[in-house]
Amino acid sequence: MAAARWGFTLGSSSSTARRGALPAGLALFALLVLGTRAEAPAQDEVRIDLSTDVQKRIGLVLEAFTSAGSGSARTTAVQADPILANDLAGSGLFTVSKAWETSSLPADAQAVVGGKITISGQTIVLTGEIKDFPARRLIARTDYRGSMGDLRRLVHRFADDIALHLTGEAGVAQTRIAYVVKGARSSELHVVDVDGFGARQLTAFKSPLVSPAWSASFGDLFFASLRGAAWNIYAVPSAGGTARQVSRGGTLNIAPAAGPDGALAYVSNKDGNSEIYVANADGSGARRLTVNRSIDTSPSWSPSGQRIAFTSDRGGSAQVYVMDRDGGNQRRLISGYSYSDSPQWSPKGDKLCFVVRTGGKFDVYVANADGSNARALQTEGSNENPHWSPDGRLIVFSSNRAGGKNLYITDLRGTIVRRIDVPGAAANPAWSPRPAGPALSGANATTTNPGGSKR
Amino acid sequence: MKLFVRCAAFCLPLVMVAVLAGCSKKKEVAEPAPPPPPTTASETPAPAPPPTNTEPSEQPNKTVQDQLADVFFDYDSAELSSSAQSTLDADGKVLNDNAGTSVTIEGHCDERGTVEYNLALGDRRAAAAKDYLVRFGIAANRVSTVSYGEERPFATGADESAYAQNRRAHFVVR
Repeated sequence: MAAARWGFTLGSSSSTARRGALPAGLALFALLVLGTRAEAPAQDEVRIDLSTDVQKRIGLVLEAFTSAGSGSARTTAVQADPILANDLAGSGLFTVSKAWETSSLPADAQAVVGGKITISGQTIVLTGEIKDFPARRLIARTDYRGSMGDLRRLVHRFADDIALHLTGEAGVAQTRIAYVVKGARSSELHVVDVDGFGARQLTAFKSPLVSPAWSASFGDLFFASLRGAAWNIYAVPSAGGTARQVSRGGTLNIAPAAGPDGALAYVSNKDGNSEIYVANADGSGARRLTVNRSIDTSPSWSPSGQRIAFTSDRGGSAQVYVMDRDGGNQRRLISGYSYSDSPQWSPKGDKLCFVVRTGGKFDVYVANADGSNARALQTEGSNENPHWSPDGRLIVFSSNRAGGKNLYITDLRGTIVRRIDVPGAAANPAWSPRPAGPALSGANATTTNPGGSKR
Repeated sequence: MKLFVRCAAFCLPLVMVAVLAGCSKKKEVAEPAPPPPPTTASETPAPAPPPTNTEPSEQPNKTVQDQLADVFFDYDSAELSSSAQSTLDADGKVLNDNAGTSVTIEGHCDERGTVEYNLALGDRRAAAAKDYLVRFGIAANRVSTVSYGEERPFATGADESAYAQNRRAHFVVR
């Protein structure tokens, strides 16, 4: 059922790997036998580097989970298979072959993943295994423990660890997307797991609401809402809870953006017209960065927190600009388009995504962080509010291409890897950072290193 | 259009000053017989404002709310056209005649901007209308502003007639 919910477009098999699959696999093997429980493993020199080649995907064979323990383990294992397949196919990293659906395994596969579901009492143990292919030597085996309701979460953790083992960086299966469900008179903030499950409403403001933005810690969601006579910025715990007002003064406080150090950039008209400010996360200590009579809006932090991209119409039309975090060195960043807006800095700082208006609709573009090499990524229908995944490999955006408003995820070659089907008119997506905690193994997961050459 | 864009880069402050000083640059050429609103950065000519809310409103049996006419804008612009200024002159008279009335001016936009840009643009439209009324002689504390951006469209179509209806400063008696 889950697989039927999304139109997956698996990566084409035309990924002409510039690096040999086998050497990469061996390098990974060498990496993994050293043990990788550190949160920031020093593995740059051995990972499969995908960052320089967005076209390339890793061929992955997915084997059905086996089961042990109580009778419900079999049922649970069958449930786990499509969850993992969705996670891996939706990651933009892998070309997934399901061993239970195909008799001929792809010759260019580089790894095989699978494992076992064990249920004892109310405890599920998902034993995830990653092996190289075709030799099937064990790369890693990890036990993920949880209670009966935790299956999806355990599978997501395994999926993210698969990406970590095979690329050097964890995947994004445990992340969430915040978005706005727009109604005729009011809108509300929602959040959903990145695979489209677990959608829930976080606000009941019954008023216009825009601009969701995650705190760097994953713990809070900022947004702007028109309650009473003024737009203000609010923060609500991303797990649900009471919203608190952050901004003060003026009638327009919108476009919050949380910086890596907790500072909050946002737009306010409290000194006259829309200007960009930086304040503490609780709204105190606000300092104005732009000073002009033009529209300045939509700030986005560079991942270092040293610069801010934003939109201004100071040159006569809306365009993407950049400035230092103290407001210095304001200059236009994107040129060549009559209207560019909604900049978002990639998590690695090397790129920007933004929208360009063409003929009354918006396209999603990507450019280098210095504005060079801009290219259209999504042009079907009108596409707004692009926002990066925390690994910088995917972009979520809203589009009216199928009528209404829906959320889509694209990779950097423009392939839609997922459509997130949630009820209502979904807009304004914001991709969460990774949840806090060690990527590879938390308190309830243990990784077994293959025997042999430990350092 | 390109000329406008280039010119706006350094004319914009002058235009704003002109608006504050009581005469937009369009007013000089358009005083005797208001032409249709000038198009600025729009791909399509701005149509005549919708027929509703444009009648001079003097009828004593109408509420103040009914007498206050909305002001319409060109695409991606908060500039007050000559017809917008005429509308605001009439609105100012209504407010003068009803000294106890306070209003909120809502700034609205068509959907052809991003959500956040449109909120800033709607804010600018409402502020332009308020500034005009204050210069007309209405006490600033009787007029508040709020932007709705594209969040509460008056017309839901995706064509120019709907867009034109949605680019407005809308009066609400408090």
